[in-house]
Amino acid sequence: MSDREIDLQLVERVRDGDKQAFGLLVEKYRRKLLRLLSRMVRDQDEMEDIAQETFIKAYKALPQFRGEAAFYTWLYRIAVNTAKNYLAARSKAMPTVSSQSMGDDDEPDERLVAHDNNTPESELLSKQVAIAVNEAVEALPEELRQAITLREIEGMSYEEIADYMGCPIGTVRSRIFRAREAIATKLRPILGTPEDRRW
Amino acid sequence: MMQPAPHPHPDDETLSAFVDGELSDDIAETMIKQLSSNAASRARLTEYWAVGDALRGLSGQAPDLTQRVMAVLESEPTVLAPRRKQHTRQPTLWLAAATVAAIAWGLWQAVPRTPSEALMAAAPSTQHDNVMPYLAAHQDFAQAMVSTSEMQFTPVNLAEAGR
Repeated sequence: MSDREIDLQLVERVRDGDKQAFGLLVEKYRRKLLRLLSRMVRDQDEMEDIAQETFIKAYKALPQFRGEAAFYTWLYRIAVNTAKNYLAARSKAMPTVSSQSMGDDDEPDERLVAHDNNTPESELLSKQVAIAVNEAVEALPEELRQAITLREIEGMSYEEIADYMGCPIGTVRSRIFRAREAIATKLRPILGTPEDRRW
Repeated sequence: MMQPAPHPHPDDETLSAFVDGELSDDIAETMIKQLSSNAASRARLTEYWAVGDALRGLSGQAPDLTQRVMAVLESEPTVLAPRRKQHTRQPTLWLAAATVAAIAWGLWQAVPRTPSEALMAAAPSTQHDNVMPYLAAHQDFAQAMVSTSEMQFTPVNLAEAGR
């Protein structure tokens, strides 16, 4: 089952009343969505508020999601519109920023973008994660490092990786799993144990 | 000797393959159902997503965003929508059916349906004048044959009615 089909299955679960399935979609896409919003809104608190509003709007609008586009594409549109509305409302409230019409494109208007107000905590967390991941990847045996890189960075399928590395698909699956476990072990103290973040 | 109970939860390697979209449909569907009731598997799954995002340079900011969203959703009514059937759309089939229907409708409109209609359609307008005396005579005769004192007939002006 492809990644897109998995998302559709999760959406169906939500429609059947399973809120935990929506939690999985939030957890899956929150970092990607925050990166998108960071190009439009640089204030950390505002960005998180818009991300939260985006997910809540998406939840309420799920009955209208037809599945013709990928779930993230649909979420992306909601996020961009939410951010534009937020920025437009803020520009009206701030007389120093001239109000203007919003274009149809998804590029943020530089005149409406806030200045960089990243919190020291979020910057520290980002640095810690980057350092931990680099160290974990460096410490991996070569075949595990290559397998996880081909999968996560290059986006190759198991079959393609197996062809490239000249090994069975089952071996690829095992190597990727072991690499993930090793990196997750390094990240766990930074991101919090799963028990700390139950939802 | 007791048989060991089957493990109700997916193993982590299967979860890892699930993250990569490398499971068969039936196994993936089973896993999705299990995830709803298995917090430990959900937590492990989110760790694997975090690993992938970290490798792609996506930072770990707003780690509590999911909890915040879920807390808000607790007060929201559950989304319940009719399940949509997963079916493959076949626009070419619909297009062909619509074309056939349009042609059939056109033929229905163009071709006379009975021989009498064909004659009527083909009759020249001058025939109208030849028929009028006959119809006028028939109207007078029919009224004379069946009418009683209670019956009130209104003679039709055939010349105007025929226009």
